[in-house]
Amino acid sequence: MRTIEFLTQNGAAYWWPVLAALLTTLLGGVLSVAVVLKRLAFIGQGVSHAAFGGVGLALLAGVGVGSAAGDLVLLLVLIVFGVGAALGIDLLARSRSARGPGAAGGADTAIGIVLAVSMAMGFVLYRLAAREAVAGGRPAPPGIESVLFGDILSVGPIDVLIAGATLVAVAGVLWWYRGPLVFAGFEPEAAEAFGVRVRALERLLLVLAAVAIVVAVRTAGVVLASAIFVLPAATALRLSNRLSGVMVWSLAVAALGAIGGVVLSFEAGWSTGPSIVLALGAAYGAARVWNALRAG
Amino acid sequence: MAVNTNKQSMHEGVPRDGGSEVVFDSVSFTYPGAGERALTDVSIGVRAGEHLGIVGPNGGGKSTLLKLLVGVLVPAAGRVSVAGCEPGVARRERLVGYVPQRSEAGLDWPISVRRAVALPLAAGRTGFTRGGAEERARVDEALGVVGITDLGERRIGTLSGGQFQRAMIARAVASGASVLALDEPTVGVDAEGQQRFADLMRRLRERVGLTVVIVSHDLRAIAAGCDRVACLARTLHYHDAPSGLTPQVLAQVFRHDVEGVFGAVHIDAHEAADCDDPSHGHGQPPGELRGRGDA
Repeated sequence: MRTIEFLTQNGAAYWWPVLAALLTTLLGGVLSVAVVLKRLAFIGQGVSHAAFGGVGLALLAGVGVGSAAGDLVLLLVLIVFGVGAALGIDLLARSRSARGPGAAGGADTAIGIVLAVSMAMGFVLYRLAAREAVAGGRPAPPGIESVLFGDILSVGPIDVLIAGATLVAVAGVLWWYRGPLVFAGFEPEAAEAFGVRVRALERLLLVLAAVAIVVAVRTAGVVLASAIFVLPAATALRLSNRLSGVMVWSLAVAALGAIGGVVLSFEAGWSTGPSIVLALGAAYGAARVWNALRAG
Repeated sequence: MAVNTNKQSMHEGVPRDGGSEVVFDSVSFTYPGAGERALTDVSIGVRAGEHLGIVGPNGGGKSTLLKLLVGVLVPAAGRVSVAGCEPGVARRERLVGYVPQRSEAGLDWPISVRRAVALPLAAGRTGFTRGGAEERARVDEALGVVGITDLGERRIGTLSGGQFQRAMIARAVASGASVLALDEPTVGVDAEGQQRFADLMRRLRERVGLTVVIVSHDLRAIAAGCDRVACLARTLHYHDAPSGLTPQVLAQVFRHDVEGVFGAVHIDAHEAADCDDPSHGHGQPPGELRGRGDA
């Protein structure tokens, strides 16, 4: 098997990307239950695309090319962009739904606006940065394909550390507030009447999701990051009738998807990010078939 | 019943307004940006253990009144108090058990009935604290009171409208609330469910002794064992025993609704006994009723 050859004959070179992929997908698994049940999937898309706008801006400012410190500054810029986009979409959606009919319609439009504008801005800024870098004799920014689809083979120990720390922090916060979070998510109005601070918890969830998605963008890329925040829970919801069971399945599916995707990418020579998403997609398909067989 | 004694004894020493558990004192409310007031100068008291029904047309301010009671909204003028506390304090103390409509819940969530009933208890905990045996006993007891012990492990989204409503009442009982606030309890509940609801209201009065406020545009919900009825169309028109709801009073309260459907109408509602016009068809089976135009 080529996977074993890659992992055993190249020192740690391939272990970091594999670990980063696993931790990032687990991060998606932990948050996807909330993302799917609270219908935040499109906010995820908005955030990941807004991050692209942030990438463009950071590159133009000369941040994040070549050094580890620059890399961290870039991450912070992206987190600020992502959290700003998530809260901005939320605010836009609320103000729109207050005026127009249907909260969902309001959110759709708001995400459409943020997504399109930040993508366009990111692309323009990226081109400008590339042109300036060439003119100034500096190293060119990473290829646009690696920004959009992720470049997992370029990740190192620092990325593993960031993904691991984010996973622990996000899982810890979700677990700590699990009681009020579940009530606020399941029945916001009733939860508010029973003294739960629903708006604060909703914002907390948005911030967690935004940070996690930005971290995932580094490994999975802009286009694919939002997929790992949807597929694990969408699959798990077909496999259990209990919230705790769904959480466990979501993590299991995420781990399986990451490992399956990594093996697929080594064996077939495909890009890792898309391979993981394909593996997760296959798991979702299998869960649907299993459901259909059980029902029929 | 044991479930409710803690909260009641905790607030026994609190001075009440003239013995009333719930007090609305000259309450007015206007939504931000709205020109018209949603509520104008509403005053009403509900005694401990009393069941008050509030009936009124859509847009008449019923939901606003309920939100003021549970402390989600704050009155622009006047004062609301629950068991001697500000509604905001009562909300944190979980003194008011809000029973929502089914449509407000995330019915696709993988949550069992037991878990849904325990949510207010779990919402007060963070981190390492766990529910334990006492919490389970409270949930069991509340499920027993509303008669759905056998549904405890079912997924909440699979319950019928009536079953869901009983689960939500069980939740309010388990939370230790001393006031039950029901929002449109007969919406999405079939005829059998409505009869069960009336029976449950009676049982709650006998076994738990909760103060109940029911808000509805449906008279059947109000008729299910309310001691008094208030009519609300922006301002409180009238309140009396259910027998005080004469056709004339209802016609007046629901006039805006009727006009919305039929245009400006003259409502001539009166008692059959006082009527000597044969074209009105009093006393005939409904199928034989003829409109005035046919007479």
